[in-house]
Amino acid sequence: MDPLFLAWSCYRRRKFQRCSEICSKILTENPYDQAAWSLKTRALTEMVYIDEVEVDQEGIADMMLDENSIAQVARPGTSLRVAGTAQAGVPTPAVRPMTQSGRPITGFMRPSTLSGRPETMEQAIRTPRTAQTARPVTSASGRFVRLGTASMLTNPEGPFIHLSRLNLAKYSKRPELSKALDLAALATEHAHFRDWWWKVQLGKCYYRLGLYREAEKQFRSALGQQEFVDTYLYLAKVYQRLDQPITALQVFKQGLDHFPGEVTLLTGIARIHEEMNNIPSATEYYKEVLKQDNTHVEAMACIGSNHFYTDQPEIALRFYRRLLQMGVFNCQLYNNLGLCCFYGQQYDMSLSSFERALSLVSSDEEQADIWYNLGHVGVGIGDLTLAYQCFKLTLAFNNNHSEAYNNFAVLELRRGRIEQAKAFLQTAASLSPHMYEPHFNYATLSDKLGDLQSSYMAAQKSEDAFPEHMDTQQILKNLRQHFSTL
Amino acid sequence: MSSVPQEMKDTSVACSKWLDAHYDPVANLYTFTSCIALSDLHGDGDNKLVVGDLGTGVCNMKLKVYRGTGLLSESTLLDLPTGLVSFLMDLHEPRTPAVAVASGPFIYVYKNLRPYFKFTLPSLEVNPLEQDVWSQAKEEMIDPMTLKEMLEGIRDKAEIPLSVRSLRYLMLDPQEMEAFVHLHKDQPIRRQTVITCIGTLKKNMADDDAVSCLVIGTENSDIYILDPEAFTILCKMSLPSTPTFMDVTGQFDVEFRITVACRNGNIYILRRDSPKPKYCIELSSHPVGLVRIGRNVVVGCTHETLHGYTQKGKKLWTAYLPAAVTTMALMDLPARAFQAVLVALANCEVHMYRDKNLICTIKTPDVVTSICFGRYGREDGTLLMTTKGGGLIVKILKRTAVFDDKDSAPGPPIAQSIRLNVPKKTKLYVDQTLRERENAVAMHRAFQMDLSRLRLATARAYVKALESSLTPVSESPTEPLKMNAVVQGLGPSFKLTLNIQNTAACRPVMNIAISFLYDENLYSMKTAFFKIPLLVPGLNYPIDTFVECLSDKGISDVIKVFVLREGRSAPLLTAHINMPKRHDLTL
Repeated sequence: MDPLFLAWSCYRRRKFQRCSEICSKILTENPYDQAAWSLKTRALTEMVYIDEVEVDQEGIADMMLDENSIAQVARPGTSLRVAGTAQAGVPTPAVRPMTQSGRPITGFMRPSTLSGRPETMEQAIRTPRTAQTARPVTSASGRFVRLGTASMLTNPEGPFIHLSRLNLAKYSKRPELSKALDLAALATEHAHFRDWWWKVQLGKCYYRLGLYREAEKQFRSALGQQEFVDTYLYLAKVYQRLDQPITALQVFKQGLDHFPGEVTLLTGIARIHEEMNNIPSATEYYKEVLKQDNTHVEAMACIGSNHFYTDQPEIALRFYRRLLQMGVFNCQLYNNLGLCCFYGQQYDMSLSSFERALSLVSSDEEQADIWYNLGHVGVGIGDLTLAYQCFKLTLAFNNNHSEAYNNFAVLELRRGRIEQAKAFLQTAASLSPHMYEPHFNYATLSDKLGDLQSSYMAAQKSEDAFPEHMDTQQILKNLRQHFSTL
Repeated sequence: MSSVPQEMKDTSVACSKWLDAHYDPVANLYTFTSCIALSDLHGDGDNKLVVGDLGTGVCNMKLKVYRGTGLLSESTLLDLPTGLVSFLMDLHEPRTPAVAVASGPFIYVYKNLRPYFKFTLPSLEVNPLEQDVWSQAKEEMIDPMTLKEMLEGIRDKAEIPLSVRSLRYLMLDPQEMEAFVHLHKDQPIRRQTVITCIGTLKKNMADDDAVSCLVIGTENSDIYILDPEAFTILCKMSLPSTPTFMDVTGQFDVEFRITVACRNGNIYILRRDSPKPKYCIELSSHPVGLVRIGRNVVVGCTHETLHGYTQKGKKLWTAYLPAAVTTMALMDLPARAFQAVLVALANCEVHMYRDKNLICTIKTPDVVTSICFGRYGREDGTLLMTTKGGGLIVKILKRTAVFDDKDSAPGPPIAQSIRLNVPKKTKLYVDQTLRERENAVAMHRAFQMDLSRLRLATARAYVKALESSLTPVSESPTEPLKMNAVVQGLGPSFKLTLNIQNTAACRPVMNIAISFLYDENLYSMKTAFFKIPLLVPGLNYPIDTFVECLSDKGISDVIKVFVLREGRSAPLLTAHINMPKRHDLTL
């Protein structure tokens, strides 16, 4: 068989590794075979292709050294950076756990769920490790290799095409080959083309370079020439980076006018609503997504977790079961099923689900999370020994599990071991300052021990983390009264 | 005029009763309510604002006079002013009031803004023992160290406290003592008290332009009333504690009443012809402001409350405030027979109370520290405030402003009518409970069986973890330790912080070491083994070390940390640290 045809066939069957190997062989025989060159570039590109529309992880440098931010104190509801004010009907942190940035955790793990500006550098460099507070989680998207840097890195024999050796002017005249290259320099040279595709590419380059306003201009002009879903998504992404969620929502809605019922656009709207702490509208849009595409995993997971946290585990159970039917088969899902069964009073299926989840774990963090939830089951049925063992196992598998430290401290306190309880509460508080529970527990403990100053300080921290918490306010009120009484 | 502008005018009147006359955020005025007064200093019917500015508290103390929006005059004060009043001291025409500034043990009286008289408080009795000791020091019979010891002995025992000089001497370092003794030994010892508050009392007529006496409260719990012309002490009264706020009413020759809030949290009411307080009000917290309205006394407390009392000390009402009180003043509008209390709060608001009813709220750009209401310029209802940041705010009460006597605070709280968002029980839930009812026995059995299996599995995992000391918490009774590890950094260098804490009640832990286990192809560590110092119970010991990631392939691994005890092969604790991927992948 003709080796080039074989390579082509491999490429069509998405066996990119083999395709590139065959192409290399052809090229060693005849270095001027342009067809082989072209095929190999496409194969290598496909190998490291990442859906750019989806993945967007702001690097630490982007977050801390952002020069686009203008208003430090944005009005509520117009910015993604400040956690939105809680709206009516949204579960409080007492019910639904919070991420580090003060948003309720979502049902689907994606890089952007961590967004929000860390206040200090120390918090920022710890951010990647506290990203795992999403509990219960359904499907971890994991962290993709950083965009654009992957293409050259994963090739063990060194770069396939040497940028410096390329005659850019020559390739720029041949669009079909330079398409594969997708290099900023080249695209810029093509800026004079009256072609919407190039404008989008140019916009993408600007976006990567952090020149968001220029990127916006390119995408807008591309949209003027040709309506395209991708372009809308890119434009919305630019606005999200510029911290203009309202404009991003408008872009999505414009897109929906041209492409009614487009799932990606609907998902985008739902995500923005979720990040702005507007869970009811986010759920609305996720439901809309499910009407269009009833196998959308993210929508199902998010609606499910929302139902779980609004005290309707039986409905959440339905959604998770649907996920299971669709072939999502991982420990997080079984974990969630177990929790839903337990809280929905379907006890006969609850523990077996957890058992299944334990057998499916792939990492220590996941195992820690399952033990943590089993600890909750232990507390629920009143078996504190079981709960104690489970929380301890959680800590064994994940040394930085602050929720487990907190719960462990409460159990230690019930056993009357005050010193230990104090130490664990302090650890929990230092590991995740965004949680109010350790601060509040520490305040109550110190209050009982008579250490009113520490109690007051801890209660203030708790109030910062969760201003509406009535018990904290009660403690603070009592302490203030105590301090000012003669 | 059409009806629309009329309506608009009405609504604007309703929402604000005050005109913003002047706001200078950088007026550089740092003062308190006791140090400001409104006075017609030149007798021309144009009232000025007289301010005793505290400056930075160390320097720049000034007596400032404002007219309109500008500063009219400024003269330097020698010491921090504690109180400032304006009063008429004689019957000469034109009737120009004098300004009395209390600072330290002195009262400086200014007339026509020129220094006129300085009154000094009578000095107090000096302890004879102290006098003896100093005279011995003067004749160099004792050295400075002995002097110090003897003074300390006197301080601890004697009934009459030491003079300021001796107290200052006791604070000195030994090498400075000699010079201090040489400098001061020839001067006689004097014991002075200082003025804490000042007020005025009409001499014998109730008119507005009647001659007034000065009433001063001092640090050693005395109240003096001074003659306005000769500045002799007309009357002396003593209190059980140091006065902080004072309000005076009546006439000296007829009958008067002095209401004094003291540092012990009590309010005393003094009357003519009684050297001791007549009534006493015991407060539940410290007073921060005192205002008399008619026959009642209104006190603001540190408890964020406002109390109303009668003249005889009977409690009338309590109002709860949203924030701490910073200062209080009386708002008196004689032309409209209107009186209210102005309460400045720490949340940048000024509340106006008539009895316990909140009748108006003014928002200010900064926390108000001093407040004064009265005639300023030719305008009767002017409110002057200075702020914490040194600003000056002037507001004028609209002549159309009407204050409803009704309480503007709403009746039942709004929260009462909000419905809680409790989700309804779904049909699905009802169906499930049906299933539960029908298969109760089978479900219970299944659950119990699963539970037993779970307990077994947990116990197994737990024992395994304990045996290999996997947990970060040590259970052994001799070394109860706790450890957690934090990784910081983006790579290739990471900082590894181990937080070790001894959770025992009172026993220290010794002879502990730490070692690391890691893939040497992936990571390198400067020191993979080190000893830990003695661990004091209850303290957190952060131990830092640096890890270098050697691989650039974007992979990461686990680093194991062992806490070891000397002479034991099994580790006390183990922690697995999931190292993050390095983020510095190069292009």
